[in-house]
Amino acid sequence: MSSTPLSLTTTSRRRLSRARISNRVFTATLWITGILALLPLAFIVGYVVRKGVGILSIHFFTRTPAIVGQSGGGISEAFIGSALIVGMAILFSVPLGLLAAVYLSEYGTGRFASMVRFLSEVLLSTPSIVAGVVIWTLVVVRLHAFSAFAGALALTVLMWPIIARASEDVIRLVPQELREAAIALGAPKWKVILRVVLPAAVSGLTNTVLLAVARGLGETAPVLLTSLGSEFVNRNPGKPTDTLSLRIYQYALSPVKSWHDIAWGAALCLLVIVLVLSVTARYLTARGRRNAR
Amino acid sequence: MLQRKSVRVLVGITLLALIGAACSSKTNGGTNTAFKGVALNGAGATFPAPAYSALFTTFYQSIETGAAINYQAVGSGAGITQITAKTVDFGASDAPLKDSDVAAAPGLLEIPTVLGAVVLAYNVPGIPTGLKLTPEVISGIFLNKIKFWDDAAIKADNSGTNLPHQQIVSVHRKDSSGTTFVFTSYLSKVSTEWANDPKLGAAKSVTWPSGLQGDKNAGVAQKISSVKYSIGYVELAYALSNTISYASVKSPSGDFVAPSIDSVTAAGADLTFPIGPKTNVLQSTAAGAYPISTTTYLLVYKNQTDKDKGQTLVDLIYWIEHKGAEVAKTQHYAPLPASALAPIDALIAQITFNGAAITPSAAVTA
Amino acid sequence: MSLTRQTAEVRAPMEGSRRARLGDVLTKRIVAIAASGVLALLLLIVVVLATGGGKALHKFGFGFFTSTKWIPTEEIFGAAPYIFGTLITSAIALVLAVPVALGLSLFVTEVCPKPIRGPIAALSDMLAAIPSVVYGLWGIYVMVPWMGTTLEPFLGRTIGKVPGLGALFHGNPNGGYNIFTAGVILAVMILPIIASVSREILSTVPRELRDGAYALGATRFEVVLGVTVPFARAGLVGASVLGLGRALGETIAVSMVIGGFNGHIGFSLFHSGDSIPSLIASNFNEATTAGAERSSLIALALILVVISLAFAALARLLVRRANRQMRASFARAAA
Repeated sequence: MSSTPLSLTTTSRRRLSRARISNRVFTATLWITGILALLPLAFIVGYVVRKGVGILSIHFFTRTPAIVGQSGGGISEAFIGSALIVGMAILFSVPLGLLAAVYLSEYGTGRFASMVRFLSEVLLSTPSIVAGVVIWTLVVVRLHAFSAFAGALALTVLMWPIIARASEDVIRLVPQELREAAIALGAPKWKVILRVVLPAAVSGLTNTVLLAVARGLGETAPVLLTSLGSEFVNRNPGKPTDTLSLRIYQYALSPVKSWHDIAWGAALCLLVIVLVLSVTARYLTARGRRNAR
Repeated sequence: MLQRKSVRVLVGITLLALIGAACSSKTNGGTNTAFKGVALNGAGATFPAPAYSALFTTFYQSIETGAAINYQAVGSGAGITQITAKTVDFGASDAPLKDSDVAAAPGLLEIPTVLGAVVLAYNVPGIPTGLKLTPEVISGIFLNKIKFWDDAAIKADNSGTNLPHQQIVSVHRKDSSGTTFVFTSYLSKVSTEWANDPKLGAAKSVTWPSGLQGDKNAGVAQKISSVKYSIGYVELAYALSNTISYASVKSPSGDFVAPSIDSVTAAGADLTFPIGPKTNVLQSTAAGAYPISTTTYLLVYKNQTDKDKGQTLVDLIYWIEHKGAEVAKTQHYAPLPASALAPIDALIAQITFNGAAITPSAAVTA
Repeated sequence: MSLTRQTAEVRAPMEGSRRARLGDVLTKRIVAIAASGVLALLLLIVVVLATGGGKALHKFGFGFFTSTKWIPTEEIFGAAPYIFGTLITSAIALVLAVPVALGLSLFVTEVCPKPIRGPIAALSDMLAAIPSVVYGLWGIYVMVPWMGTTLEPFLGRTIGKVPGLGALFHGNPNGGYNIFTAGVILAVMILPIIASVSREILSTVPRELRDGAYALGATRFEVVLGVTVPFARAGLVGASVLGLGRALGETIAVSMVIGGFNGHIGFSLFHSGDSIPSLIASNFNEATTAGAERSSLIALALILVVISLAFAALARLLVRRANRQMRASFARAAA
């Protein structure tokens, strides 16, 4: 409300000043709410950094856990295990998700496509423990073994809808002109998709994969029921494998104080990795959008 | 010439050496090489886990270098389930086998190994040691009848201590636990209310009236050490290694006895054979005995199906019983009384392979 | 839109190129199969859980859903306490998170200075990426002690004395491991999601509507509460239901702070309990297969999946309807 050149009646003046006060109060309330909402979250990140920084050392990354009572151990098997399991999960979910996304964006007009799209959105909310139970029943029981492979499958159940849905959005953003130009040049549809559309969407797709990786690294419940965890470095997909999330979970619940310190350090690592991935993904999206313009 | 002769000699010596090595690598019958043991898988109680960890590691490193023993501390209930299903080579439980367990796993032996104490571990700021608890107070707390730390009943025996007016948070086991079995057996002995309540009584898992759950001994220890004004039951080793305070308990003779290797050993004198579902050394009247002591059992089948595994098991158990006392003590567990050795040897003698008894090898009898 | 889609559907003009047509047919088949995989996944989940849980459901029948007992040693299992635990923790989370999330998203869209709008939005979104186990670790060693020694006794002394409402905050907070703490941690976890989707919804409210209201002399408060929020109502509800969906399925952080208790249903939020996901996470690996324990846990997983996916479907429908409404009104306004 800028200053008016007209003369105001008392009522209008009163209303105006009341309006100004109301605006100020409301704005202040929104500021307070905004800060209040972000405060606990910022506090958590700060706390994890503070508690976790001290434990990080070269041993932390290169040694396996020490026996109870001895110090100097690390959690190298958790890093390797997380990389193994999430790596396999990406291998499983990216092709499947990408193909589904291609269908939805390039062929997706009918009722079937709408239903698939809707279901993949709904599946985004699959409880993570359910993925663990399903793969336990299908794989762990059949093979009589907990394994990194089963863990990767459980993560795939969660990551596939993410990749399918997010990739569809990315592929849709590829300008229609590119497709039309390729068709005008006589390319068959499959070539258009493979040679024109997908390469154009590469940065957005990488973005999607990064987000899916961030999600997969942070999950504990699915791997708890399928990969079980281990004290030793394991590169065999058929054996129980440890992950960063499992190690934090196990150590957080133990009474051993030195293990709590390690848990904070692992939490810090996990947080850093996940946040770096998310930030990179955002940066790529923003850059992609800028380039598209 | 000279060269060819040397070569022949060399070949001859090498051949002899190889034959000699081949002969001595046979593990059955070679009298100049000791049995090295094979890897074993076991699962069961968390109660003796610190002791077993030390015992198994020493056995592996110093006695039989092939016997890498993988023990998973999953709780007594899960241990009994696994050995019944034969998914492991041996089980471990603090609770003796029930009749139904015996029926489900015919030929399963339960062999006591060490003695330990179930302690009342607590976290009350300002009272690091010296809390004295009577059976009435303990059962009152876990029945959720005594709710505050400065309750008159607790004050009565702890007149010198400054008890705060805070609510007691009790911690119990969530999983099927031998430690719970021992503790609830004790509660059933000292409290008729506990014994007669159908939801309670003596069992590996009961419906606790209140309090927090912890998963396994370690989980209970974690809850106690992180929650102020809490109290729970854990094995002594867990309280010691995590610097958690524990209480002295009033014995049947009226003294307050603190858990220790000595007080547990005194209680161990009560151990009788044969082992049955009601075997226990609780509320021992022996002098200086800690009232909530217990032995813990290794579960192995009489009829072994793998000769090397059977031999390793026999050697392991024999070694623990006869030579493992000092190692167990380092973890604050007590060895069994000398009177128990003969019945235990008789139990070990029942372990057979193909009908023939497996005798402990030279590696452990020497 | 439909015009360009038709263009994309145009087949290759070189009719004779068999390889091209084969490629097209093959591609379409392959991607269609991959897409149907999504359907297959949903069916797989439901079928696997139904067969796994069948043993328990068969044994207990419909009573499984209403029975309040969970006694593994007697082979008695009932789902009611855990459905209760799941719903109550999610309800607490919603009650706490929705107003704050709405406030945060309104802050970002209405009041926040343009230069920091982007970073604040980015911060809020990235916080949704914090793994559950990290929340759980922080929950056990920071939140639970504070709740148990400070906030909850305070609530017990104040609101706890109010008749009626006080029953919620009655009893021994058990050191902070209880349903209330779990609800609060859930609220913190679902806040970023609700705020992020709400922000998107709010940013699509047509400027003309708001500017018109301002022109009529309305205060910011009146515009927000009288125009913006009512207009975006469906989408905002959708955002909250999305948050609810996440709260229902949240496993690890809840399991680490909720305390655990066999078969509790009651008024007091200070009692420990369990939600379905936290019960499964803490009991599954050691549940016996011989009896009905594992099967009961799988049946619980089935119940959970049905509830979560139903709410997720509802949320998506609401958000879609809201988007369509807004696009339609925008088109009308532009015309």
